[in-house]
Amino acid sequence: MIQLNEVHKSFTVKDRKTRVTKRIDAVRGISLEVKPGEIYGLLGPNGAGKSTTLRMIAGLMEPDMGSIHVCGHETRQKPEAVRGCLGYLSTDMGVYVRFTPRELLRIFGEFQNVDPMIAERRGLHLLEKLQLADFADVKMEGFSSGQKQKVSIARALLHDPKVVIFDEPTTGLDVLTAKTVLDLLRIMREEGRTVIVSTHVMPMVEDICDRVGIIFDGKLHGDAPPLELLRSRGAKSLDEVFFQLAAESEGGN
Amino acid sequence: MRGALLIAKKEFLELSKDRKTLFFAFVLPFLLYPAIFGMMAKMAKRDEDQNRNKASRIYLADPSGAISGMLQADRKQFELVPKPEGDLKQALRDQKLDLALEADQGAAASLQRSETFTLAVTVDESEHTSELALKRVKDALKGQEKSWIQARLQTLGASSQLAEPLKLEVKNAADPTLEMGKVLGRILPYLLMIMMYTGSMQHGIYATAGEKERHTLLSLMATRLPRNQIILGKLLYIFSMGVIAALLNLLSMSLSIPFIGGGSTNSMQALAAVANPMTLGLTFMIMVPLGLFFSNFILLMGIQARNTIEAGSAITPGIFLVVFLGIFTMSPGVDKMAFLSYVPVVNVCLALRKLFSQQFNQMEYLVAFAMTVGLAALMTWVSTRILNREKALFKA
Repeated sequence: MIQLNEVHKSFTVKDRKTRVTKRIDAVRGISLEVKPGEIYGLLGPNGAGKSTTLRMIAGLMEPDMGSIHVCGHETRQKPEAVRGCLGYLSTDMGVYVRFTPRELLRIFGEFQNVDPMIAERRGLHLLEKLQLADFADVKMEGFSSGQKQKVSIARALLHDPKVVIFDEPTTGLDVLTAKTVLDLLRIMREEGRTVIVSTHVMPMVEDICDRVGIIFDGKLHGDAPPLELLRSRGAKSLDEVFFQLAAESEGGN
Repeated sequence: MRGALLIAKKEFLELSKDRKTLFFAFVLPFLLYPAIFGMMAKMAKRDEDQNRNKASRIYLADPSGAISGMLQADRKQFELVPKPEGDLKQALRDQKLDLALEADQGAAASLQRSETFTLAVTVDESEHTSELALKRVKDALKGQEKSWIQARLQTLGASSQLAEPLKLEVKNAADPTLEMGKVLGRILPYLLMIMMYTGSMQHGIYATAGEKERHTLLSLMATRLPRNQIILGKLLYIFSMGVIAALLNLLSMSLSIPFIGGGSTNSMQALAAVANPMTLGLTFMIMVPLGLFFSNFILLMGIQARNTIEAGSAITPGIFLVVFLGIFTMSPGVDKMAFLSYVPVVNVCLALRKLFSQQFNQMEYLVAFAMTVGLAALMTWVSTRILNREKALFKA
């Protein structure tokens, strides 16, 4: 369902002091495949290239080299078709606080070309699942960050996407809300959806992910199931694997 | 185009949820102009009444009494005051008096000998009351001078027409409609440009850099809507707000005209004659591409900015440019510079100026219209190209 083949992405940044333009290789030849009914955990430190990879999968950014296929569509050629079959959520996504959740979902239903009746029904169902149905008609101005995150999740899933990308979905959430999100991810796996989750929370990865990939300096390391990764590295936890890879990466550089 | 309309609909829905902005955008113009115009008219009337009823304070040095009798006789207009201490000019600047008149010592004798005498006037031209005093003295002296000349001619046994070989008769060719049209033609393009630009500005910043600041732009981009449709939808919203702002402000201004002293029946009739459907239609037609051009500029600056402050800093200087161009086109003689018909934005102002002053030039209008449409289309193309770039959208 998701296929990345030797994907590269670089950015140019200008040093304001020295006025020198530098090229930063954010993603360096990543290849991976995620199948339906699978949750793939993408780990890595800040600035490793996780969000860039996810944005490329979501058709928001174009790879410089390589190819990405989502739901059978090439992201560069058919970005709209890709986004139509994909639900994308990122922690740095805000909600339109002047609207109520119901209004917001109605509008995004129109954007995703969902029948208004179906959007209404599905929106309410998602809000119920996320324990937010009582707030469906309350303006989001006074919502907590957790409540806003729940609305964002409902927005991302409104059009019943086959592929779901959650970029750090539990950041800033309390334990209860985080659990709700994890339960939802499990349900999505059971429903046969393809899920990619990027996170810093290792226990969460061990708990729900079928396979794990760790990104350091734009390169993917250890693309395997969590237990297999632990065994191959002789580690007791994913944290340990993470530190080993970080040391290797530093040594390599 | 469906996507663009959906985005514009979302923007309008969002606007409809903000009561304060709705009040400032749609209600305030209808309260502001009547209040401003009413207050201005009241102040002007009060000033006029005060000046009309108050006698000018004049210091008169007229040892021979050549004109003092004349001024003393008109107590409604003149109040003779004693010589102030110190310098006369300083006394005028300090507003201790409005005017100082100093006649020659032998003025009365000069008059009797049918000779000329000098009356020195010290006036403060920066003060309205001083200027009014001078006007009143001149008017009074004009009549007095005429009677002195007639007396002299009578003494000589000559006809009173001897000193008046020519009688100038001035007839005003301009009808009130034309006069009103010229005034409107000068002011209206300037006002429309400013209203369109400022009307679009705040909404443009909110819908572009504001979306980035609130981290909502990414959620729009993650939908199946094509990116250029999102950009066009934003453009449509910004443009519509500019047009709405200009129309509402104009409507409110028109409705407020009766509040001004000049809102007489004649001027209202003239206004109605100038603002005929044809003229208004042509005005609207040419303002559409101009508004689109402005909206594109706002969109381009707004969506490339990292936040609303950066967007505001980039978009605000545009107001000064619009004001400058507007004032430039109001200057006399500008309409005679043929090459200006080919200068974008300026040519729209000039075409409108001629349209309202009944000197409509079809060719000039078409050139201005075609150029503005071309410019707006080019700008829209450039905007969608630039804003499609990842760098513009993910700048944070």
